[in-house]
Amino acid sequence: MANGVYLGSQYAMIALGLTLIFALMNVLNFAHGQMYVIGGFVTYTFYGQWGVPFVLALFMSCITLAIVGALIERYLFAPVIKGSAREESTMLLAAGIAFLLDALILLIFGEKQRGVPKIVDGVFNWDFRLIMPYDRILICILAILSIVAFIALMQYSKTGRALRALAQDRTAAQLMGVNVDRYSMIGFALGAMLAGLVGGLLVTITGINLGMGGPTSIKAFMMVMIGGAGVISGAIWGGFILGFMEAFGLAYLSQYGDITYLLIFVSLMIFLAIRPQGLMGKPWG
Amino acid sequence: MLNFSKTQIMGVVAFLAIFFVGVPVLIAATGRWDFYFTLTSVALLAIASAGVWLTFYIGRINIGQGAFALVGAYVSAILVVKTGWSFWLSLPAAGLFAALVAVLIGLPILRLRGVYFAMITLVLTQVATLTALALPITNGAKGITSIPLPGAISIFSMPLVPDFSTLENARMAFYFTAIILMIITYAALYRLVNSRLGHLCRSMQQNEELASSIGVNITYIRILIFAISSFFGGIGGAMFGSISQSVYPATFVVKDSVDFMLNCFLGGLGYVFGPMLGTLALYFGWDLLFEFGKYQMLIYATLLIIIIRFLPNGLLSIRLGKGGVK
Amino acid sequence: MQRRLLMKAVLTAATLTAFGSTAALAENPVLKIGFVGVTSGPAAAWGISNQRSMEARAAWINETGGYTIGSTTYNIEIVSFDDQKDPKRAIAGMEKMAQEGIHYVVGPNVDDGAAAVRPVAEANDIMYFPYAFPKELYSAPASNAVLGMIANYQSGPAIYKHLMENEGVKTVAFIAANESDPLSQRDGGVAAAKELGLEVVSDSVTYQVDTTDFTPVLTPILRTRPDLLVLSGVSPANAPQLIRSARELGFEGLISTETAQDAGVLAEGAGDLANGFISVGGASTPELASPMMNEFVERYTSMFGEYNDESNTKVYALEYILETIKATPEAIENVAAFQASMDSFEAPNPYMNGDEKLRYVGMSSFGQKRQIAVPLVVNVYQDGAFETMFIARVD
Repeated sequence: MANGVYLGSQYAMIALGLTLIFALMNVLNFAHGQMYVIGGFVTYTFYGQWGVPFVLALFMSCITLAIVGALIERYLFAPVIKGSAREESTMLLAAGIAFLLDALILLIFGEKQRGVPKIVDGVFNWDFRLIMPYDRILICILAILSIVAFIALMQYSKTGRALRALAQDRTAAQLMGVNVDRYSMIGFALGAMLAGLVGGLLVTITGINLGMGGPTSIKAFMMVMIGGAGVISGAIWGGFILGFMEAFGLAYLSQYGDITYLLIFVSLMIFLAIRPQGLMGKPWG
Repeated sequence: MLNFSKTQIMGVVAFLAIFFVGVPVLIAATGRWDFYFTLTSVALLAIASAGVWLTFYIGRINIGQGAFALVGAYVSAILVVKTGWSFWLSLPAAGLFAALVAVLIGLPILRLRGVYFAMITLVLTQVATLTALALPITNGAKGITSIPLPGAISIFSMPLVPDFSTLENARMAFYFTAIILMIITYAALYRLVNSRLGHLCRSMQQNEELASSIGVNITYIRILIFAISSFFGGIGGAMFGSISQSVYPATFVVKDSVDFMLNCFLGGLGYVFGPMLGTLALYFGWDLLFEFGKYQMLIYATLLIIIIRFLPNGLLSIRLGKGGVK
Repeated sequence: MQRRLLMKAVLTAATLTAFGSTAALAENPVLKIGFVGVTSGPAAAWGISNQRSMEARAAWINETGGYTIGSTTYNIEIVSFDDQKDPKRAIAGMEKMAQEGIHYVVGPNVDDGAAAVRPVAEANDIMYFPYAFPKELYSAPASNAVLGMIANYQSGPAIYKHLMENEGVKTVAFIAANESDPLSQRDGGVAAAKELGLEVVSDSVTYQVDTTDFTPVLTPILRTRPDLLVLSGVSPANAPQLIRSARELGFEGLISTETAQDAGVLAEGAGDLANGFISVGGASTPELASPMMNEFVERYTSMFGEYNDESNTKVYALEYILETIKATPEAIENVAAFQASMDSFEAPNPYMNGDEKLRYVGMSSFGQKRQIAVPLVVNVYQDGAFETMFIARVD
């Protein structure tokens, strides 16, 4: 149970960034996982290597990724979307960026698995019914707080309103005087920043290595699909559902051995075939 | 076949000449024998990519071709190794089996569109790999190894195709086989696109409801196209298993599925020969950058980004102008 | 216009690269040794430690005047090809090696790649040294593959036996990633454990390599309370997380693996929780490492900034290739001569103190000598470094 919450909250954060970018620009960002990895490495470098306080390192991750995201949107995605006959072409661009980031990560940060010292030591043990290390609890709380902050931002700030308008209908938003280009960039940066934030948070627990990018992207896609593409509540639901599914599914299905994951994926396919728009999504994305 | 213009015929002849005469001569001249294999892979991957392109043609993003390639590779390997079929018989069997699987899976999932279809096919690749790991007939994690090379074919004791294992240069034999398969595939694809079915597909790409309302049986066409697409995937995969003489669950994975799709994007979705060129550029490009050592990936990715930044509609759009045929 | 220009530039660059010459000028003739393996993407760590140890060693040889074979002194050049862990690319890489006229190649790093390159290697007279375990690769009729490390079905039994005798281990549980290599290794490990009379309490739990939280994966296994938890074929990235999760769940038994690990990675990823973790390594512990090993580590570190303990086992393949060719100079072009000499080849092991020998082994596992004899050094992690637990030999 506790594990589900913990896993779910981190998954939800990854999915949030992806769905935000998707909703705004209709781009499936294949490079999302790589951004997450960069976030992890930046935090690692600041906190693990240079001894900068953790919160500051986390902040640096966010800033770095926001800048990277903004630049990518401004100079790559925006012109390609404008010039392309079919908007799916951006998938190629996204994949190219994923390759590029992978190469950069390898050159800059190296090939090894990295981890940082624990922020808090000790394990919370409630009568052996609930075992949870303190650092996980802390990260979990931080993750949930960030999600709440993100939702608040989207709901109540001017930027958030503009972004939501943009996601609903680009043309209408433009007609209403929203600076579409500017807010697309902000939205992309925000999505990338979320990836960086999760990367920074999780490096304290799972560590980070350059191979985590691709699989993370794919996992994030699945969460977004479960919840419904382009819908923020959907991403949160999707994240938590996948988190719980992994936490519980593994415990119950482990008796089937090697085919555990096969079962999970097959049921996911069946679910998507029955309810293609996900839990919260509008049909046909 | 019918009413081809002169330039078209010239184009086809030139194209055939390049592949059957030009390439071997060039390779012999430069001594780069390793390009045979690279070009063989390009041809095979181009066949699978052609299938993906076809699903694009009905407006679906297919990231599941790796699954069908894997199915094809396994079917052929199992038939050859366990039941002693000739490879040449197992090749169409692999394609047909992949098509059959596509029909069964396509029935429920082809209702989906856009990213939803993309995602479910992505999951499909994952499922195929995991199934291969779990089933006893695929030999699980150990894979199927030591697959014999393709044998001889003879019709009425006339040798048509020699036994590959007796050949001095099996690389060249595989190259020609792959090229011939690729040409057949693309000829079929070209024919299909310019047939009535092709027109129907285009109408579906634009608007399915509308197509349906004017009496197009969209369910039937969708399944048919998806099956043909997977048939190509199965053929490409089977041929590949035969070259490497081994099949593993990881022979085709999610990355391959994504690559197939990227090939189509890079070549240009609006052009029948787009996937062929895309495959050539993506796969061959990597090999050409071999000299750069550890910067290979960096340069490769940068070039890719530059191309898509300036040619968002694919490489072929350079010739035909922007936003041409859709 | 801009577009045309760009395309032209790209094409020109591509053509130049393709047909341009790669001659690296040196006074000595150059002996090229190949490497085909994965140096980018998720599994990059495996191939990079290989490639770097080869490059470090080659640079060292060249700096000290080259390597003398017969009457000629050669400079060693390492030609590496990144196969991206894709068997299709691995074949292309092997073709490339044939193209360069290379007869000795280290790699590939995984089962499917190693199996896929076999036809090419045998057709082109290439001896290759994979880091993959399938027995078919090394048993007749296969002739050109030489196992570059100790297989898990060889190290596993040695470790289990030692633990049974010295730690009183009675029950064992296995966990493996849901991929070909680890699953094969797990099956091998389970068979070995059963043969030794250990009780296997759990052998069906698997995880996806991209798992970020191992708690749910480990919970069912730990409920069976094994004395020993074996992480079959675990990648260096997953090992610290698995150890950490197991310990945090209150597991108090032993944890071991049959693959090589890096102490730095364990220290960062699991900290003190990794104390007591058993893995296989080369001659890295102070009492075993010869001065040459220490110098190798030093050179590697100054060349690439940071050492990787996995390289301890990976430095050997190149050394074997060179030493064998030195012993049989005609093998430089003639692979048959190389194969013939493998049965009797013997040379001192320069990386280890004592009178260890370099020689080819594998009779009992493969029926022919198609494995390099790397000392089976079983390590225990303790406070940021490895300590030698025991040393065994493979025959």
